[in-house]
This record gives sequence, structure tokens and C-alpha cells, in this order.
Amino acid sequence: MAAQLWALVAAGAVVLAAAGLELWRSRHARARAVGVPVALAGEPQPQAAPYILYFTGESCTVCRTHQEPALAKLVGVRIDKVDAIAERELSDRFHVYTLPTTVVMSSEGRSLHVNYGYAPTRKLERQLADARGVPLGATVTA
Amino acid sequence: MATQFVDHSALRVNQTGIVATVLVAFIGSAFYRPLLVLIPLLAVVLLLGTFAPQLALFKQIYFKVLKPRGIVRPRPVQDRPEPHNFAQGLGGVFLVVSSVFLLPVPVLGLAIALLVAVLAFVNLAFGYCLGCQIYFQLGRAGLIKATPSSGSGTV
Repeated sequence: MAAQLWALVAAGAVVLAAAGLELWRSRHARARAVGVPVALAGEPQPQAAPYILYFTGESCTVCRTHQEPALAKLVGVRIDKVDAIAERELSDRFHVYTLPTTVVMSSEGRSLHVNYGYAPTRKLERQLADARGVPLGATVTA
Repeated sequence: MATQFVDHSALRVNQTGIVATVLVAFIGSAFYRPLLVLIPLLAVVLLLGTFAPQLALFKQIYFKVLKPRGIVRPRPVQDRPEPHNFAQGLGGVFLVVSSVFLLPVPVLGLAIALLVAVLAFVNLAFGYCLGCQIYFQLGRAGLIKATPSSGSGTV
């Protein structure tokens, strides 16, 4: 029984450490990805309205089962679907380390909010509203 | 390459089988030590199923028993099987490592097996597949041939 208890403690410690590492990693990546322009060279191209960069890939099941239905509920929002493996340079620029990743871009063409992992519709709507009404880089949400 | 359909009910039965087997081995071995043999057996089942899907025990239970009798309903999802097979193989490899340590360092062996069960449970309950994320990272690094999706563009 003692071995089982110690194994439980050890596995719990690993899970907690992994969760902490993931939290740190997402915050670190987000801090570097916010404010990044989407244009490959020169000044970012101004757009008519904020839009979403949606990083996905063939290996991403959550993209199909959760993220795409959530994105489909956003009415009148341009969503640029990006293959994270094929578009390596772009995904590196936004520090995409997990799929799905959604980036809310301002109409000036810079990233305002970056969501690593599944982002529900309500969260994206809140971020889009923020992108429409708040100056660039004013807020960063988790 | 066209996206295929994967029956996610088969994946869920597989994950349930992994969690149940590890839990029986983990809790049961406290009272009856030979139950630890379930862990190396599960490793063999997972590795066999990775390379020969017709030998995937839990998936076969689903396809041959649970699905035909209507006990579990099929849930086909547009998906690719490779990341899930990779995740299963990774689970099998970790269980092999666990099996190696089960007798000399039982705490370590049991802890590794428990982590495999935790990851299977997280996938079952929340849809988060760590093995699939590792598959994506290896694909990005060019270490495995991950197929790009149907394309980029405006949705």
C-alpha cells in the first residue's frame, strides 16, 4: 500500500509541475506574441475591421470538434485559417506551440489577444469587442 | 490528402479501457501483487494496436461487441487517425518503461502507469490529447511527416 501512496504523490507532483509549466509557457508565449504585425515585411496592412487568425492542422481534433463550431458562431468576422505546419514562419511569429491557437488582430493588423488552446465563442466576442473599441495593446487577457 | 473520418467512440472506449486497467492494477496490486502484470499486458495491447489496428483490444471490443449491440453509439468525426495512433503508441512506450521499473522501483513504475491513466482520462473527459500535441510539435520540427491540412485561407 505504501508504494501506491508514494506513486500517487509522485504522479500528483508531476501533474502539478506540468500544469505550472504549461501556465508559464502560455503566458510567456502570449507576452511575446501580442502586438506582433501579421504582414511579412514592411508596415502592417490596415483592415476594415478586427479579424481572427486561426492556426490549425491535420493533427488537431479539438480544432474540428470545438474550435471551428465556436468560430462559426461569430457573425460577420473575417477568419483567416492558417496551417501551422505549412505556414511555419507565420506560426513562429505568434509563438504557436499548441493547436488550436486563435489570434485576434486589430484593424491596424497587429495582434491584440492570443489564445493558446480552445477559445470559446464568448471569449472571442469579448476580445473582438475590445479590438473594436480599445487602443492597440491596451489589454492582454489570459 | 482528403481528411478521413475517425469514430471517436472507439477512441473513448480505448481510453476508458486504459484508465480502468491501470486503476485495477494500481489499486488491486495493494491487495494482490500479481495484478501488476496488467501493466505490461496493457503495454503490449497498446503497442500491438498501434502497429496493427485489428489487434487493438479495446477498439475491437467496441467494433465487435459494443457498437453492434448498440451499447455505445458511433461518433464519426472528420479527423485523421495518425495522431491518435501516435498517442496510443506513446502510452504503450511509457507503460513499457513503467513495467521495467515495476519490480525494482515499484513507486516509479506505478507513478508512470498512473500518469498514462491520467493523460487517457484528460483526453476522455476534456478532449485534450497530449500525444497529439507532441505529434504536432514533431511535425513542425520535421521529425515526422505530418500532413499539412487542407489549406490556409479565409473561412
